Amino acid sequence: MNLGGIPILAADPDAGLSGNALPLLREIAERLKRLLATGEAGALDLHSLPLTPADRAWLKARLGEGEIRVILDSDGESTLDETACPGVWWVTHRNLHGAVSVELIEVAFVPELVKAHPEDVQNGLAHLELLMGDLR
Amino acid sequence: MQGPLIDTLALHGVSRRTFLKYCSTLASLMALPPAAGVAMAEAMAAAPAAAKRPSVIWLPFQECTGCTESITRSHSPSIEGMIFDMVSLDYQETLMAAAGHQAEEVLRKTVEANKGQFLLIIDGSVATGLDGAYSCIAGRSNLALLKEIAPHAAAIVAMGSCAAYGGLPKAKPNPTGAVSVSDIVKDKPIVNIPGCPPIPVVMTGVLAHFLTFGSLPDLDKLGRPKAFYGETIHDRCYRRPFYDQGKFAKTFDDEGARNGWCLFELGCKGPVTYNACATVKWNGGTSWPVESGHGCLGCSEPNFWDAGGFYKALSMPANPLRMAAGAAVAGAAAGVAVSFANRAKKKDAKAAHETTTLADLEKSEER
Ligand code: SF4
Ligand code: SF4
Repeated sequence: MNLGGIPILAADPDAGLSGNALPLLREIAERLKRLLATGEAGALDLHSLPLTPADRAWLKARLGEGEIRVILDSDGESTLDETACPGVWWVTHRNLHGAVSVELIEVAFVPELVKAHPEDVQNGLAHLELLMGDLR
Repeated sequence: MQGPLIDTLALHGVSRRTFLKYCSTLASLMALPPAAGVAMAEAMAAAPAAAKRPSVIWLPFQECTGCTESITRSHSPSIEGMIFDMVSLDYQETLMAAAGHQAEEVLRKTVEANKGQFLLIIDGSVATGLDGAYSCIAGRSNLALLKEIAPHAAAIVAMGSCAAYGGLPKAKPNPTGAVSVSDIVKDKPIVNIPGCPPIPVVMTGVLAHFLTFGSLPDLDKLGRPKAFYGETIHDRCYRRPFYDQGKFAKTFDDEGARNGWCLFELGCKGPVTYNACATVKWNGGTSWPVESGHGCLGCSEPNFWDAGGFYKALSMPANPLRMAAGAAVAGAAAGVAVSFANRAKKKDAKAAHETTTLADLEKSEER
């Protein structure tokens, strides 16, 4: 049998879609409105929602890619990518083995994790002052 | 170890961001809203770290060591490992270096030095037949050991379906007279962490709760932490939309199976099984049974070994097709009603022991 004799079945592109992703777009829109009106940030935990892998891909494609990508290197890699809708971030936390532990959609001007904590800034300053003391 | 937890973690090289990330993971697997992760991080960071690492004694009874295997795969070294480092695991036969009289001496001394304060973890059921002679350690029966040590523990964690409910050893005809820990110990707080085996992070999550908040997590009426066992597999299953639409795989290799449709008709016990597999997943979050194409066996439910064939659909005695159509029309509400109805059916199934045969695996015409 030659290669041409093997029947090829094209998978239906909508096969895995459950229809559960569309309402999420509406929820994200609602949260964006709230962010603009009150400054309140929010997040959706994708693991806790009944989404098929196809739904997830559909959602990701609809939200698109934005201009900013943040890589956080702590206890495994995390990526915080802004989508084509500014203020909507696709956040993926991975463990040390590279497996995805949490997947979130965050609605915020800047995700909380990206900001430096004042106490850490304080420690950094102390470190810098120590350095300068040594160099004097 | 003194001072707030966050400082202690900093000494271990754990940054604030790592900690925040951990809390957000924990919130996700406890099925809490994402905002809870931030609140939890604040509470935990400020909590005073214990002055002395709490002592933990782990006793293996009538078990297969699967639970220990599972826990040791709680992806270390990770922050859970860090928090785990904060307990002193004083006695664990499989992991400890000491053996024989030396080991038994450690056990005696640990109980003596931590009376009323140690956490007692038990995996495996308790054999009660022939005065417990079916399962002994160092010449003493598990039954005698439990009765001797339990009164001195602060709390008990029954790890795995065997310790929690009796598990495989208790399956009919139960030759050893196996019972659960809670059948024997009546006057101590007992946390049941069922599963065959339980999910590693559920265990570390319960420990983290005990260490950071100084108390046991909220439990349901079967003694299970609500955070992990509050919902069924079915409630959180990503194939759930197909169940609601009445789209079922009929065999393991048909088009429905390839399209990732619901495995209900192939025997999935997700609707009556309370566990966190659908969100936490297995093997470090890689996948879980339903994602791999096999239905849930119901391993974290009482008497699951006697609850009927793994490949028999829960609705078997009724008419699965009519029920499926109903669910498709009425949507999620019907799904919930069906899962309640099925709980009752499963109870009936428990009364009559059924074995799985090859015929169960092949869908027959009358189905
Ligand atoms: S029956 Fe099983 S496969 Fe189907 S939705 Fe429920 S848990 Fe998922
Ligand atoms: S999917 Fe079901 S049988 Fe499998 S591990 Fe989870 S609770 Fe147990």
